[in-house]
Amino acid sequence: MPDLTAPTSPKNGRVGAWWGPAVGLSGLGFYAATTIPESAGREIYFNVAHPWAVYVFLAALIGLLVYGLVHHIRLWGIGRPTPGMLSEIPHRFRNAMRLGLAQEKVRRDRYAGIMHWCIFSSIVVLTFVTAQVAIEGDTPIKFLHGTYYLIFSFYGDLFGLIGLIGVGMALNRRYFQDFHRIRWDERLEDHVIIVGLGLVLLSGFLVEAARILVSELVQHPDWAPWSFVSFVIAKGLAGFAMEEASVLTLHAWTWWFHIASAFGWLALIVFTRLDHLFFAPVNAFFLRTDSPGRLAKIEDIEQQEVFGVGYVQDFTWKQLFELDACVRCGRCTEVCPANISGQPLSPMHLIQDLKSHLATVGPDIQTHVHQFGDAGREVSPVAMVGDVIKDETLWACRTCGACMQECPVMIEHVPTIVDMRRFLVMNEARIPATAQSALENLESRGHPWRGTALERTTWMEGLGEVPIFDGSQEYLYWVGCSGSLVERNLPITKAVFRLLGESGASFGVLGQEETCNGDPARRLGNEYLYQILAQQLVETFKSKNVQRVITNCPHCFNTFKNEYPQFDGNFEVLHHTEFLSGALKTGKLKATHAVSADVTYHDSCYLGRLNGQYDAPRQIIEMVPGANLLEMQRNFSKGLCCGAGGGNMWQEEIGERRVNHVRSEEAVRTGASQVISNCPFCIQMFEDGVPAVHPEEEGRMRPFDIAELLEESVFGKR
Amino acid sequence: MHIVVCAKQIPDPETPPSAFRIDAASNKVVPAQGIAPVLSQFDGIAAEAALRIKEANAGSKVTVISLGADSAASAIKQVLAMGADEGVLLNDPAFEDGDSYTTAKTLAAAIKKLGDVDAVFCGRQAADWDMGQVGLLIAEEMGWPVSIIAKGVTTGGAGLQIQRVVEDGYETVETPLPAVVTVSNEFGEPRYPKLPQIMAAAKKTVTQWKTADLGLDAGEVGAAGARLKLEKLSTPPRGGAVELMPGDSPEEQAAALVAKLRADKII
Repeated sequence: MPDLTAPTSPKNGRVGAWWGPAVGLSGLGFYAATTIPESAGREIYFNVAHPWAVYVFLAALIGLLVYGLVHHIRLWGIGRPTPGMLSEIPHRFRNAMRLGLAQEKVRRDRYAGIMHWCIFSSIVVLTFVTAQVAIEGDTPIKFLHGTYYLIFSFYGDLFGLIGLIGVGMALNRRYFQDFHRIRWDERLEDHVIIVGLGLVLLSGFLVEAARILVSELVQHPDWAPWSFVSFVIAKGLAGFAMEEASVLTLHAWTWWFHIASAFGWLALIVFTRLDHLFFAPVNAFFLRTDSPGRLAKIEDIEQQEVFGVGYVQDFTWKQLFELDACVRCGRCTEVCPANISGQPLSPMHLIQDLKSHLATVGPDIQTHVHQFGDAGREVSPVAMVGDVIKDETLWACRTCGACMQECPVMIEHVPTIVDMRRFLVMNEARIPATAQSALENLESRGHPWRGTALERTTWMEGLGEVPIFDGSQEYLYWVGCSGSLVERNLPITKAVFRLLGESGASFGVLGQEETCNGDPARRLGNEYLYQILAQQLVETFKSKNVQRVITNCPHCFNTFKNEYPQFDGNFEVLHHTEFLSGALKTGKLKATHAVSADVTYHDSCYLGRLNGQYDAPRQIIEMVPGANLLEMQRNFSKGLCCGAGGGNMWQEEIGERRVNHVRSEEAVRTGASQVISNCPFCIQMFEDGVPAVHPEEEGRMRPFDIAELLEESVFGKR
Repeated sequence: MHIVVCAKQIPDPETPPSAFRIDAASNKVVPAQGIAPVLSQFDGIAAEAALRIKEANAGSKVTVISLGADSAASAIKQVLAMGADEGVLLNDPAFEDGDSYTTAKTLAAAIKKLGDVDAVFCGRQAADWDMGQVGLLIAEEMGWPVSIIAKGVTTGGAGLQIQRVVEDGYETVETPLPAVVTVSNEFGEPRYPKLPQIMAAAKKTVTQWKTADLGLDAGEVGAAGARLKLEKLSTPPRGGAVELMPGDSPEEQAAALVAKLRADKII
């Protein structure tokens, strides 16, 4: 199962390293504490008048939380039903644990991972500590004495300190580092949350220190050091030689400040992004369990009144729920190829804009006070698609999935963006001219390459007999529109063909009978056209008894593998890199000729990030004698899109730079003489991008498909 | 206002040269395998012009007429999906192999049969034969004024205000109705159909008329009525020749090139 939640590379991410020291220290404390008398303990609500008032705070907090939740639930409720959300419960539960509680994605940024773990664990443990105090003080259950009391004191202080370290790291990043992404949408609440938490923790220590100063430091000097942080502060306070009454006054005031600030801070959950405390793990539970490369099918499309999502209530409730999980961390925007290139898309702002649109029009829709227009849709003075979310924002998306990969709260941006594209294209027919031309070409000619002078059989010239698939062969070699109708890609198609033949595989091609499988139409938002093309092709495959397919295009690969099952088309699908690496391993192909070159490898989004295949292509490169792989800085699941995904192959780019120039620059920077990829779109983008960033012909890097590299090694230089 | 759009389905002009074949015996284009015929691009633009007028004038109606075989129904559906109201297919074996004259005569007969037509919009020419005659000949048959190669058509005055493309710009003319207009590519791109309209178009039935429905004789339509006889159809020979410009320096070579281009009346 391709997994968007996988770590960047197998090398990083170890939960145990964090819990180890904490468990070790606790164990040590337990050992030492066995000598402590049972009498060890403290007076609960020491020096506090009317402690019952705490429960007033608690009741208010619970009331607020319930109010906030009900408000949110009502808003999410305006969305459409979300099918399948309660399927595969064990898998979903694991996701909630792994991605919610264990915060695997948060740790993709190491600094943030440590900071967040410190704060998170501190809040969890200190809530538990506080609850124990309440139970000891207000119920007949008594357990806070003797050894456990001292251990309790120890870990209470330890996690208070850990929390302060986390707060310190957060303050450092926010105020002392040149760290941009958290400031892209910085709000007052961000300062309040972090400074507030610092005050809660500090005041907690101060309360404890004051109590230790008057009740333990002299009386029980063997107990006091267990609260090691407060003990040090108490020692410090002792230096001021305050009168006991003053210390008690300080204690009382600080105690109430601590309580009020702690409850006040928790109340922020209702009003600020602190709500991710609940929403993030729940969203992890609701995270899709199928492939991230799959877009949802519009069932019974001919029966629909409105196509795609142009009105907020046409999102599913899961999509609306997601909006509330966003914490504005900016990780999505930081990795977005459009944003990196100065183009008009920031996934974070898109989510936030939708969120505030929901907050604006949602309550009225929920209570049905709005004017209702076509098909009962809310008519808002601002159109969601067009005004709130600009057309060009939606068109800039490459559907590369980098945003979803990085999102620590598991928001799925791409399906949301494509849903709005569907509205633009099918409902409004608002579409960039060049993309429209590609779609019209798909409709009338069955391929997106307007103006091509090639035929689907042109690549076969000079290859002798090319077997046509008739059901007797094991594999269908699917050449694809780009593999047959774009001049640059013909050598790739020929290379794959020759290698398949050399490996002894039994295969055939469809030749003139190939038609587009619909991927560009689906990514560009024309789901109707996609469904027509997909249904036709599934029928063709079935009529020819196709069982196994090899593609040289990761987009075709993704469509056949992940999306055709929606049309009852279940085939075993291999990308050529997977087949070829297998043939090399089993000795069916022998890479004997040296290709002495430094090469860099570009992970295409649809083979890499969205289908989890990072190894097969790299194994091929490793098996080519003489080829030396130099990795780019952004690779594996952090690989940057070439710029062509999501139908952008057929669009004019708007913005400061072109994505393929940015990526070509990264490839050139490795110093390699070849950039190797696995996707005809990527190759075309590099063919255009490398000369742009490296104008001198001398020593210019050249883009090749991995099949071309392997062809040279298997057959020798042409 | 009732506007008729004349739309022709043609072999795909983007057929790769290698797939374009002519049958020498019958003097006909052999349909390329796997390459479906398309709506002539200029006719799509004429439809766009008609639809904009329809949208600007409440109560207007657009009827699309095509002369062609069964497959031409898809060209009609395409214009219906763009927003036309009704479609008529003039479909009769007797219509086959006509020329511009018989085509115009047949289309005009259909327009007369419709009766209440205020304007006829055609593409400036069909993108297969590129003759550019049918619009003019329809006007002749109908006895209506005609404005050709329009880059803009609007309503507002007495009839239609038309911006006509001329050699060094464009001229604005006004024509009384009924009238014929041929629309050029300078007008702009045809719209992308909205899905609800595609669905609605799919449900519409296309009226089919034959020779007799139009009150015509088989002898005056199609090949029988054609005045133009096709002698020979062939693909132009493909190839190129290289001529190196003499001269010892780049300047001399450039001068020789200019002289040659002038002599050949290219510049």
